[in-house]
Amino acid sequence: MIALVWLVPAFPLAAFLVCGLFGRRWLRQATGWIASAAVGASAVVALGVLAEVMGGAERTVVPLYRWIAVGDFSVDVAALVDPLSAVMLVVVTVVSFLIFVYSNGYMAHDHGIHRFFAWLSLFVFAMLILVMADNYLLMFVGWEGVGLCSYLLIGFWFERPEPYYAAKKAFVMNRIGDWGYTIGIITVFLVFGSMNFLDVFRRLEESAPAQGALTLICLALFFGATGKSAQLPLYSWLPDAMEGPTPVSALIHAATMVTSGVYLVARSMPLFAAAGSALAVVALVGTITAIFAATIALVQFDIKRVMAYSTVSQLGYMFLALGVGAPAAAIFHLVTHAFFKALLFLGSGSVIHAMNNEQDMRRMGGLRAKLPVTYWTMVIAGGALAALPPLAGFWSKDEIVGAALTNGYPLLGAVGLLTGGLTAFYITRALWLVFHGQPREPHLYEHAHESRRVMTIPLLALAAGAVLAGAIGIPPDQGFIHSFLAPSVETGATEQAPPLATILTIALGSVVVSVLGIVVSLSMYARGRPDPAAVARAAEGYYRVLVNKYYVDELYDHRFVDAARAFAGAAWAFDIHVIDGLANRFGWALVMGGTVLRRVQTGIVGNYALTIVAGLLFVLFAYGGYAAGVFGR
Amino acid sequence: MIVPLGAYIAVSAALFFIGCAGVLVRRNAVVILMCVELMLNAANLALVAFSRKYGAVDERGSVFVVFVFVIAAAEVAVGLAIVLSAYRNRAVIDVDEIHQMSG
Amino acid sequence: MRFDFVEPLVFAVLSLGVIAAGAAVVLINRITAAALLMAFTFLCMAGMFVLLGAETIAAFQVLIYVGAITVLILYGVMFTKYGDRPYALFFQRQTPLAVVFVASVGIPVALFSFTFTSGTPSPGGGDLPQLATSVFTDFAFPFEVASVLLLAAMVGAIVLTKREGREETPR
Repeated sequence: MIALVWLVPAFPLAAFLVCGLFGRRWLRQATGWIASAAVGASAVVALGVLAEVMGGAERTVVPLYRWIAVGDFSVDVAALVDPLSAVMLVVVTVVSFLIFVYSNGYMAHDHGIHRFFAWLSLFVFAMLILVMADNYLLMFVGWEGVGLCSYLLIGFWFERPEPYYAAKKAFVMNRIGDWGYTIGIITVFLVFGSMNFLDVFRRLEESAPAQGALTLICLALFFGATGKSAQLPLYSWLPDAMEGPTPVSALIHAATMVTSGVYLVARSMPLFAAAGSALAVVALVGTITAIFAATIALVQFDIKRVMAYSTVSQLGYMFLALGVGAPAAAIFHLVTHAFFKALLFLGSGSVIHAMNNEQDMRRMGGLRAKLPVTYWTMVIAGGALAALPPLAGFWSKDEIVGAALTNGYPLLGAVGLLTGGLTAFYITRALWLVFHGQPREPHLYEHAHESRRVMTIPLLALAAGAVLAGAIGIPPDQGFIHSFLAPSVETGATEQAPPLATILTIALGSVVVSVLGIVVSLSMYARGRPDPAAVARAAEGYYRVLVNKYYVDELYDHRFVDAARAFAGAAWAFDIHVIDGLANRFGWALVMGGTVLRRVQTGIVGNYALTIVAGLLFVLFAYGGYAAGVFGR
Repeated sequence: MIVPLGAYIAVSAALFFIGCAGVLVRRNAVVILMCVELMLNAANLALVAFSRKYGAVDERGSVFVVFVFVIAAAEVAVGLAIVLSAYRNRAVIDVDEIHQMSG
Repeated sequence: MRFDFVEPLVFAVLSLGVIAAGAAVVLINRITAAALLMAFTFLCMAGMFVLLGAETIAAFQVLIYVGAITVLILYGVMFTKYGDRPYALFFQRQTPLAVVFVASVGIPVALFSFTFTSGTPSPGGGDLPQLATSVFTDFAFPFEVASVLLLAAMVGAIVLTKREGREETPR
């Protein structure tokens, strides 16, 4: 099956071509089923690959063809099949399949449905390329491809202005990150002479290059990762990306594209481990982002924005794990997060669909009775997010916090713990506002109805994943996934498993913090003690800052966008006045010259005859002068 | 005393440049044509003089003169035709008045 | 008695006639007078040809120039009316410039021509045999071309002056 690994991206690519070329006229609604079938087939092959890798297959490179061969520089289109990429393949294809099935219901009434599935299929293709690549350059192809599809899909409903602006913002911020990525891979080539992962890691072992170069590479790559994975400072595109259809938010901005940054760092672990300070930066940025985003999520009223900031926060956790030397924990959390966050988004989509595209939670309420399946699956997902045992999120998040505390980062670990509490608080708040209490908009409530089966079945499937996925990581640090991933993400540092008592203590601590968050949240929103509005009034300054998302968007707009606009204005002025001016003056000079020279053509024959005689005069004198030696022989 | 060759050439030159001045100075188109004929005559004289005054007679100069006659006749005929049709159009014979082809 | 003063004398008279008449053509305002003076120039020119011993050429000169071309010019004068204008010469804009140019070229050339000093006497006998032989043997082709040229000029002159739109003759 490993030899067939190229079928995995081939199916979505074929789906993209079919839906794109034939979707508008002939296939229409059928595009959804075709695309879903294609991704389903990919999932089957991916599972087969995973089974074979689990069965003990060696790390394999499956080449397709030689892409670039110029002098010393050669890059192949080849797939690297090892535990890490096998896990990613399965996660991407399985979650994508469920979301594709769901989208058949959600996008059924949209007139652009063929476009949706074409681009979604292209996205899956690009993501798979990213995950399967055996070198940085091919990965970059996938990297750019997912960025492009993100732009296309965020701006899917481009008839309205907001999606268009959001798509542009996402793409530009991605691009800024890509600049970092490009610098990183160019430096990799300059230092190691190759862009191939295996070559680079081998040469890293053989000859230790300069620390400075390594740190540069790692920081540049991480900067690219912050763009893709929405960490500080390039995170603000993700909440705006919620303008896209909910399945897009679920797939791209929860489960797959935003995890490519995590995957990049995990894949480059040998490099990061060798450049010591880079990992510290990763951990720090991840932690700060985690708590930063969690605080904003506390006060948002748009249900999708709550989920978006939650995603940013959880990604911060993954980077924290990578930074403290627990990459297996990061990938573990990536897997569990894919399930429960996708579920949260799809459930939100179900709610939005039921409430006739209303997204403001203040107008919802009491939907528990109307949307039972959605409610229960979202409760499961919310519990996983809040890291309640025995749901999947508990195992993965607890491991991250534990790794931070035991690997010598107590402060980061404590912040992670605190953020866990905030997470529990905001997700409880969101669920309560949507599903419990009195319906705040009666006529919207009247028309709410549960979604069709094509939408609820994926919810149930994802819920099962949210419950069971934790099993691969039990017990902490010694579970299946740790040993499985070890060859891929080895850092070269041997770790001792912490004593059982420590593990239990940390686990207990995180559960307590989560429960505390839930209790406080329920107390505020269910009982009104203290009343949320009163709290907001009392801490008005802080509240306003949080609601306005720390004014980051305004800051960026003022510092960067205005500067860019000024520069563009200056360049435009230069173009108009200097360059065009030069061209215009030149043309004017020619015209003037013509106007002057035209006066020679008087039309009077006598003048022309005179000119002939004058010419004769000139010739005769010239000849005479030459003959007389005046001009020298 | 023999008339030197140079005298003939001098006469030819003088007549040629008189004709040239006439072409440049006169405004009546017919008169311009007359002055052109003067110039052609001067050329003929020079040709014949040179053909007869360098030892043996070189009849090629005379042959050339015959052809110059032909050309001159053809030229004056066509020239007058042009002048007449231009006159028919605009009833002016003054070449200074005909300047529609100015730039 | 030595009569070898005759040739230079005749030459002097003829050349005077040529130049004076030529100048008159340029300077005189009345066109008809100018045309007739042009004919006189041609006649004097014919005389000079005879003096050079080219009688055939002289005959041709009289036939073609004095005979045909003068008549053509007179036709031209007849069909065009030159309005009463002030004396043309001094109101021509390019007169001064033209005079300067022409004089500055013409006078040196004329003076230079006096450097040709060989004065071979004209051989006796006509030039007709040699001329005829040359024209019809060595230069037969140019001769034919010249005749075609004449034909073309004739046709061209007719085409140029043809009146368009012939009126219907009343029936």
